[in-house]
Amino acid sequence: MGERQIPALHVKRVEYPGAIKALIGQLKRMPGIGPRSAERIALWLVLSRDAKPREIAEAIGESARITPCSKCGFFAEEALCEICRDDSRSPELLCIVEQPTDILPLERTGMFRGLYHSLGGRISPLDHIGPENLRIDALLNRVKTEAPEEIILALGGDVEGEATANYLAELLEQHPVALTRIAQGLPAGAGLESADELTLSRALSGRTKMKMPKFG
Amino acid sequence: MLEKLKLRNFRCFEALDAEFASTNVIRGPNAQGKTSLLEAICVLLRLQSPRVSSLAAAIRHEQKGFVLDGLFDARHMQFYLGAARRKLALDSVEQKSASEYLKIGRAVYFSNRDVEIVRGPADLRRKFLDFAAFQVDSAYRSQLRSYEKALRSRNLLLKEPRPNRRQIAAFDGPLVAAGDYITAARTRLIAALQPFAEEAHKDITRSAETLSLAHRRGGGADFRRTLEAATGEDLRLRQTTAGPHRDDLHLLLNGRSPEIASEGQQRTIALALRLAVCALLAEHAGRPPLLLIDDVFGELDFERRNALLKRLPAGSQKFITATDIAWMAPGEARLFHLAAGRLAALTKPPG
Ligand SMILES: Nc1ncnc2c1ncn2[C@@H]1O[C@H](COP(=O)(O)OP(=O)(O)OP(=O)(O)O)[C@@H](O)[C@H]1O
Ligand SMILES: [Mg+2]
Ligand SMILES: [Zn+2]
Repeated sequence: MGERQIPALHVKRVEYPGAIKALIGQLKRMPGIGPRSAERIALWLVLSRDAKPREIAEAIGESARITPCSKCGFFAEEALCEICRDDSRSPELLCIVEQPTDILPLERTGMFRGLYHSLGGRISPLDHIGPENLRIDALLNRVKTEAPEEIILALGGDVEGEATANYLAELLEQHPVALTRIAQGLPAGAGLESADELTLSRALSGRTKMKMPKFG
Repeated sequence: MLEKLKLRNFRCFEALDAEFASTNVIRGPNAQGKTSLLEAICVLLRLQSPRVSSLAAAIRHEQKGFVLDGLFDARHMQFYLGAARRKLALDSVEQKSASEYLKIGRAVYFSNRDVEIVRGPADLRRKFLDFAAFQVDSAYRSQLRSYEKALRSRNLLLKEPRPNRRQIAAFDGPLVAAGDYITAARTRLIAALQPFAEEAHKDITRSAETLSLAHRRGGGADFRRTLEAATGEDLRLRQTTAGPHRDDLHLLLNGRSPEIASEGQQRTIALALRLAVCALLAEHAGRPPLLLIDDVFGELDFERRNALLKRLPAGSQKFITATDIAWMAPGEARLFHLAAGRLAALTKPPG
């Protein structure tokens, strides 16, 4: 006698309601958040009395208003950022950084009272990023209209940072502006973001001349 | 000394746990994992394989990553490599950078293909030099990486339909800075190896033949000048034609190229080069490196075998593989048998 066939069971697996699933789906897209963290955060938002999900949603909504400053590229709530709107800062000094996130660490040193310009990256052929992908034309315009006396290059100390500095130095060759680089105290390969305040202060005060201003 | 070793999903080994002595002889038929075991030891200590440039090739087929775990000079070294990530730990503390980790152990790998260093293409000689340089100069690794990055960037720019000269020139600075470092380090290394290689060679051959080493600089006497002078050529050929990536180690036997030397003479030169690295590392670190000797003895005649055994730095830990060990005099060596990815310690050599 053959064995009795067991009929396949078609049990529908119960899952979270759609709203929770959608929330998990959105959270999972965030950097550093995997499916398990996303689930944990979603459940906390739903279950915990302290979670205040409306406030969180509102804050996220507000943050959508942040745009890059039209002048320097730093985070701004209006056309211009707080730094560019501050009259007490010296427009004679212009500090060039790779990313807008490099600006705050420099600000925290309290040593720099000039203006900034973020390139939005650096020249990196291996990542298919050329000068045309960076805010270099905007920089040249600023150099013409704002006529700073000194441009400080605060770029990374690695191959791409060096190359970008060299490229800008050659572009600015004909402009009546002094060009300096912050001292090589920064770990190669690590951007400004990871440098600590003390290292940055030292790097800022020990900057080296790349070229003297050329007049005429 | 490497006292304990654990492997997980490294090449043909699913899992291996072993304890080693000062001299270890690993016997086994072909394709059982002898080379892989020595490779694992090399990767554990140096984070580099002596046989491939990409470590991902050593992950066991269909597995996500390998684990190497060893006790070396009472330090617990752990290395994990997966497709997307790598992890290093020293005494259970995760390491962000490899610099501390790489200070711990040094190794020299002897292979039965070493003769290719003598007669093969120049990149094998550069690899030989680099592997030694990594172990005497802790900045060499990052400088070589910077050089290679600048070189690849520059070459990509040269290959564009309309190469942008200003952009290419922007990479000359970092290329020359790292290139000058590499060049100087290799020149120093070759000069330091010279007396050791000459001595080892005399000792093996017991002859008056003189082995000499010279650095042929791919970047010329002044790399920046050479690079500038080659701009036109580079644009035409769409690649960087000068630089340490074109370096060579010139070997001369009594002032003549070893290309015409006999097979046996070429093998002796290769052996002398490896022994020179052993001596240099011993001098540099104050104690001899760990020796990985892969299937080398089988290739040598009786005299060269003995000369090699005698020349191996005293007090160094040795791992010797062979398909056949009948020739070996029973000594204090610990014997292992390796078959089908399993390592069995034998108390005495099987009859
Ligand atoms: N990534 C990998 N995953 C699984 N197996 C691998 C991997 N790489 C190599 N192997 C296999 O491991 C086996 C052992 O190779 P290995 O070169 O270590 O052998 P060997 O004992 O040194 O042989 P020989 O005496 O011929 O030199 C080979 O069969 C090879 O195909
Ligand atoms: Mg082998
Ligand atoms: Zn701004």
